[in-house]
Amino acid sequence: MNNVEKSRGNLLLEFFSEEIPARMQLNSEIQLQNLFVKSLTQRDIAFESFKTFSGPRHLSIIIKSIELEQKDHEIEKKGPRFDANQKAIDGFLKSNQLKIDETIIKETNNGKFYFHSQMVKGQKTYEILPEIISEIVNGFVWPKSQRWANTDLKWARPLRNIVLLLNDDVVKGKVEIGKNVFLNFNNFTFSHRYNDKKIVINKIENYEQLLEENFVTLDRNKRLDKIVNDSSSLLDKEKLKLVNDNSLLEEVVGLVEYPNILIGSISKEFMKLPREVLSTAMRVHQKYFSITDKENNLVSKFLFVANSIKEKERDFRVIEGNERVLKARLSDASYFFENDIANTFENWNEKLKYVLFYESLGSLNDKIIRMANISKIFAEEFGVKSELAKQAAILSKADLVSEMVMEFPELQGIMGGHYAKIKNEHEEVTKAIIEHYKPKGISDNLPETKLGSLLSMVDKIDTLVGFFSIKKKPTGSKDPFALRRNSFSIVQILINFKINLSLNELLEPSLKEYGCSSQSIKQNLIDFMIDKLKYIFSNKNNRIDVVNSVLNTTIVNDIPIKIISRRIDSIIKFTKNNDFKIFLANYKRINNILKSEKFSNNAVFQVNKKLFETIEEQNIYKLSNSFSKEIIKKGICEKSQDTLINYLIKMNEPISLFFDNVIVNHYDYNIRINRLNLLKNLHNSISKFSIFHLIED
Amino acid sequence: MSVYNSFQKIITSLQSFWIDQGCVLLQPYDLEVGAGTFHPATVLRVLGPDPIWKAAYVQPCRRPTDGRYGENPNRLQHYYQFQVIIQPSPEDIQNLYLESLKFIGLNPKDHDIRFVEDDWESPTLGASGLGWEIWCDGMEISQFTYFQQVGGIEVKPVASEITYGLERLAMFIQKIENVYDLDWDGIDKKKGGKTYGDIFLQQEKEFSKYNFEKSQTSSLFKQFNDAETECKNLLHDKKNILALPAYHQCIKASHIFNLLDARGVISVSERQSYILRVRNMARSSCLAWMGKLNE
Repeated sequence: MNNVEKSRGNLLLEFFSEEIPARMQLNSEIQLQNLFVKSLTQRDIAFESFKTFSGPRHLSIIIKSIELEQKDHEIEKKGPRFDANQKAIDGFLKSNQLKIDETIIKETNNGKFYFHSQMVKGQKTYEILPEIISEIVNGFVWPKSQRWANTDLKWARPLRNIVLLLNDDVVKGKVEIGKNVFLNFNNFTFSHRYNDKKIVINKIENYEQLLEENFVTLDRNKRLDKIVNDSSSLLDKEKLKLVNDNSLLEEVVGLVEYPNILIGSISKEFMKLPREVLSTAMRVHQKYFSITDKENNLVSKFLFVANSIKEKERDFRVIEGNERVLKARLSDASYFFENDIANTFENWNEKLKYVLFYESLGSLNDKIIRMANISKIFAEEFGVKSELAKQAAILSKADLVSEMVMEFPELQGIMGGHYAKIKNEHEEVTKAIIEHYKPKGISDNLPETKLGSLLSMVDKIDTLVGFFSIKKKPTGSKDPFALRRNSFSIVQILINFKINLSLNELLEPSLKEYGCSSQSIKQNLIDFMIDKLKYIFSNKNNRIDVVNSVLNTTIVNDIPIKIISRRIDSIIKFTKNNDFKIFLANYKRINNILKSEKFSNNAVFQVNKKLFETIEEQNIYKLSNSFSKEIIKKGICEKSQDTLINYLIKMNEPISLFFDNVIVNHYDYNIRINRLNLLKNLHNSISKFSIFHLIED
Repeated sequence: MSVYNSFQKIITSLQSFWIDQGCVLLQPYDLEVGAGTFHPATVLRVLGPDPIWKAAYVQPCRRPTDGRYGENPNRLQHYYQFQVIIQPSPEDIQNLYLESLKFIGLNPKDHDIRFVEDDWESPTLGASGLGWEIWCDGMEISQFTYFQQVGGIEVKPVASEITYGLERLAMFIQKIENVYDLDWDGIDKKKGGKTYGDIFLQQEKEFSKYNFEKSQTSSLFKQFNDAETECKNLLHDKKNILALPAYHQCIKASHIFNLLDARGVISVSERQSYILRVRNMARSSCLAWMGKLNE
């Protein structure tokens, strides 16, 4: 131990393991920090700050100015209940070697209990650390982990060494990782495999520098910066640039300890391959970056990051090796491309007959036929030719059995589009095939073309309805067929293109294709879709109350999405209008009366005009009927939504007069019921437009 | 081309390296298998009875669907793996592997060596493990796996498996772009030296034709059922459980399934059930090997 009396010092903990998968590293850094901070806080050990590092093999944390001694603290022991029998109380006293006057009685949520509290002298941090490290090691959660040799501990890959220094001294101790298998705390770690050295760390402040000198850049941000900076300095002088690919960059940062940025060449013969094929072949298997010129054309070069020290001869050899690998990959790709071009869509579709879409939902060929049938129905609404819609659907899945997509599944759609173009299909069709897997998530871009959007929507409706029809709707967090994502995509497309179709109109054709006539399945689908509509709308306008008021109306399945969207917007616009606020208050008053009279079910009530005693009653009656007619006439006209709200506002005066001059709670039972029926009818007719009491004031 | 890095020299160097590490040097298993892992020396031995097991062997592998009639420079339906299985996994196993590369003329210091995440799973064997593919200058030259499960049974202690793809490795070392140009024996062509193509091109052509066009599927279906029945029979009689012959039938069935697959006669929905049938054979054989079949 250090001779100098100090109350605070620095700490270094490093887990050295075999290569941790790149995708897990950043999270492990965060986890290490959280677990350590939690362990220290629980034990009342203060510190000033920390810094973490992660790479393929080194995962570490430096904690600055940590207290070398734990604060004195109180430990409280809970005994038996206050009214427990004497035996239990004696037992508690005996096992803790206490006298009764050393206990106190305290009130808890569960009643009064005996307690004993004791001041405990703070321990030395040095002595507590082994326990903390063991807590961290055992508390670590990896997305995927393994045992090795005789260990019981699971780590992403075998954990080989632990560095633990406090105040530059190694902490004595070990962690048990299996039955009688231990890892001791050490003061050394290991260098890059290139010089393969044991590195003794004498001072924590030198840790980062020492490893840097031994070709390990511990800080992932520094590795990232190096890759970015070296790439641009290499490319800038040739007026080239890297194709932006952040997730690849993140991955590569986790694959190297000492980044060495190198550029290789692609044989010219391969440059005739579609750009996506080139970049996918490079990216997926080889983790290479694509390079473009200023005009954004792919050039016959690639950039990659080696895990090595710059040295001309070796770099040359490494580049040559990588070029050879890429050449083999690309000659495979060319071979697939040429075979595919020689093939036909008819042939592929024939093959689709033998590819199952899903058990009892038929083959992929069945799917495209269903899609084609539905596409024709919706084509007009999307403003595309029905023939093209059909053709796009028929060709949409062929590439799934092409050789290229079998090899690179991420090229689905893209290859179909390329091949359709080569076969001289209509340009709109080729674009639609390329786009129809979009949007891939709630934040992904929508297809740009109308035909692409139609195809995408129809594909997803077919999937959604199919799985619902065989009772495979998502439950809880389980959604193996991505039906939630699919339905979000459908909704986004509907809203984006202001589609004039109701949920019923959207789902009916597909249900028919599956021969599904179950009302409960249809209702499940509608509820599912409404849920997604609510989410998307309220995300856009932040007025979940208004969204609910419109989407909870009973006839919502028959209202075109375009109108729903417009109605929500209109109501939101009016919520600031004073007359509208009065209308809202009136509606809520009516709603409350009906509710307190238990009149809130939806049956239609016959109003008996002969029982009217006042002009106000007659006015309300007229209003109610005329609004019912109005909403039939104008309810599904996009431009009339404001008009309808204005119509409602005009009811303010007659309603106020009604409440001023008419007693609903009349002593004559028949009159009272008739007046309630009158209000109920008005309420019903307004509620076809929106359930206004859901809107907050 | 020097004698040092001919195809056969690579094999003998790897053999002598791993013999020096205390491995039992075995010969290939005498059945068609899809990977060196299928050898009973791996599948069964990692389940016991001895907690220490070290073995190395070459294993010819057959993947009927990878056949390209000898026309593709990188794909073969028959190729060689060099397999090392060590249980329990040694602490310095990665270094041992890197040392072995030096032995075959590939000094890691002269190259860019990377351990890239690649978890392994064999649905037919009910086996899985975590590990890496090992890259040398961007080329995958080996597969490294820490066995966690075999036959659905936990492997304890954990074994480490290293699989060298011999053709890939030799192509890298010899800087060859077409597998058929590989130098097999290090002897000059004029003096009767042989390339990989001299030895295997005709085989690739004929077997591709057999795998894709000529195999009798009706007979294969029958063979599959026969192997399955035989496997069950061998495990049926509680007094005479024969784990090794039962596993032998499992390997047979697995290859027959691959042949049927190459003919494209197994539909997607049937596929899963065939895989399951092989897996059940593997699992029962493994349990029988451990003497736990009837527990």
